[in-house]
Amino acid sequence: MKSIFWITGVVFCISCQTHSVTRVNPETQIDLSGRWNDSDSRMVADKMITDLFASERFKAYAKENGKKPTLIVGLIKNKTTEHIDASNYIKKFELAIYNSNVADLVESDEFRDKLRQERAEQQDFADPATVAQWGKETGADLMLFGEMSSETDTNNNRRVVNYITTLFLTDVETNKRVWYGQHEIKKLVKN
Amino acid sequence: MNKFIQARQPRYFNQLPESFKLSGSSRLSGSLKYCLYFFGIFAFAFGLGACATYYQSHFDFNNEFEHGDLGKALETLKKRKSEGDGRTRFLYDVNKGLVLSILGEYEESNEYFEKAFLFGEDYRINYVAEATSYFSNPTVAAYRGEDHEHLMVLYFKAINYLKMNMPEEALVECRRLNIRLNQLNDKYVSLEKFQRDAFIHTLMGIIYQSGKDYNNAFIAYRNAVDVYENEYAKMFGMQVPQQLKIDLLNTAKWTGFQDEFESFKAKFKMYDFKESKQDADLIFFWHNGLGPVKDEWSINFLIHTGNDNTMVFTNPELGLNFPFVVTESKDRADLAKLEVFRVAFPRYRERELYFNSAYLRLDSNKYSLQLGEDINKVAFHSLNQRMLQEFAKGLLRAALKKAAEHSIRKEDERLGALIGLVNAITEKADTRNWQTLPHSIFYSRVPLKEGANPVTFTIQSNNQRNIDYNFTYTAKKGQTLFHTFSSLETMTGPYRYY
Repeated sequence: MKSIFWITGVVFCISCQTHSVTRVNPETQIDLSGRWNDSDSRMVADKMITDLFASERFKAYAKENGKKPTLIVGLIKNKTTEHIDASNYIKKFELAIYNSNVADLVESDEFRDKLRQERAEQQDFADPATVAQWGKETGADLMLFGEMSSETDTNNNRRVVNYITTLFLTDVETNKRVWYGQHEIKKLVKN
Repeated sequence: MNKFIQARQPRYFNQLPESFKLSGSSRLSGSLKYCLYFFGIFAFAFGLGACATYYQSHFDFNNEFEHGDLGKALETLKKRKSEGDGRTRFLYDVNKGLVLSILGEYEESNEYFEKAFLFGEDYRINYVAEATSYFSNPTVAAYRGEDHEHLMVLYFKAINYLKMNMPEEALVECRRLNIRLNQLNDKYVSLEKFQRDAFIHTLMGIIYQSGKDYNNAFIAYRNAVDVYENEYAKMFGMQVPQQLKIDLLNTAKWTGFQDEFESFKAKFKMYDFKESKQDADLIFFWHNGLGPVKDEWSINFLIHTGNDNTMVFTNPELGLNFPFVVTESKDRADLAKLEVFRVAFPRYRERELYFNSAYLRLDSNKYSLQLGEDINKVAFHSLNQRMLQEFAKGLLRAALKKAAEHSIRKEDERLGALIGLVNAITEKADTRNWQTLPHSIFYSRVPLKEGANPVTFTIQSNNQRNIDYNFTYTAKKGQTLFHTFSSLETMTGPYRYY
């Protein structure tokens, strides 16, 4: 019987534990489930940025172009089994390009339509001296495409997932690929 | 049930954590005796009001809901407002959310579903209540909600947002569903457990598709097909809905996954399939019947000494044998003197379907409603899968209560008798569950033209009686409209529709 009350006592003490929240450095790698997470997005972005800046073919294209290339983000296809938001690392990628000044960025279709709608409304409602003009959009030289895929192997409580992220820049005029980057992240998960 | 228990009966108790083993002396100090005395009085008072099942104790609300008197049911819930802060707050919130949703009060409905969602997110075990439950019954602890119930909260919430034409908010629920599905997947190791929900993956696909995110829709549909084929077929005897196959092929094509498009066409033997985009779509969900209600059943156990330091709980009629570790020989001797005792366990009672099929008609085309989720079977399966755990908890509770009674009897016969009486009165199973959920969810996608579309919905009862309902859907180009239709009828009574 003594043990019953001992257990109860312990349980009372445990019940004093409270919910806690700790802020951690966003750079800290924390893996809980083994699925794609912020660390993977960061790794892909860092690798792709390094690859692009080191690419001789990209430098040669920029030189041949005679001006800073203008870049637009196209479709990043997700063929994995997870709902991964590619924009998490694409935005990092864009930010690095923008800050490095190696290329100009133009809005993708998601925002372009909003801008055109705003411009259309300005024609009717804005002061003519401040109205944005039609036909002044900057055409993109290069479009960024990409694809994510994964291969999974499972056995009992173990799972191996290999995530492959491929990005490439294609010349809008000639369809020629100017840059190609690929990064693999392989994870072994034990449950 | 008997077969199931026999096949798996010996394992769980051998795996009881060390802290669950009974040991130590049975002498009680005077102050402890009085603590127990007061506890006994408290439990007695509590037990008097708690002998009914959850369904019975909420009969007024259940009766009104089942008869379709939703206004009254809502009023009844409002009168029980205090439950919104109590041990059954999850059930209060989901019931209120669901009733308001059927009544078309989507915004207010979602306030309650959000509360239920946050309850599930922030839930922390109250160890005091858990410990107390071992000396009385499991209903003294807060109701946590079943896995499938937590998914259904987000299903209703997302649908409410879609009906209010708030697709961005619906997508938030979609992402929450994804997290919940991942958590469910990680929770269980055994593939026999309900760890993946095919219908929720399908719902996610539908939501992504309505937002023109065909890539994510394809991923969700492909995951859904995988679960239907590999888990639902085995667990629930279900097939991949034809509509899901069509949606998967369409989204594969629209995403530009030509290889996947071709391979799924071959897999589904839909060789002539051509992808097609319509002006607009109607997604029609049919909530058919009412889900199961948790009931109680009890078993009488005998206790006798086993090998080494074990006591064995036996029920010869059902062929049940549960070994139980008791380290102290004196305690074993005490327990061996205990006679027969009753242990209560939960079980589901099905509310059988009144309607068995339905279809939609637009112009000369007929679209059958296809079974996406059999909540009834999911609930039964989930409880069956953890029945050993329920047995373990029930027997541990009974053993602790009996041991306490016996020890007190040696010190004070009258107090011991009172504790025995209280134990008998308070012994009950946890019969709480979300009882306003539908029995099954059927769905279909109907292609609409821009403008007005007159659609007839026909439901068929078991006795081949057909009932028609007419709706007109006005669609804009590219729009996806959502409609839910709830049939509250079951085989136990004639009710209304909403």
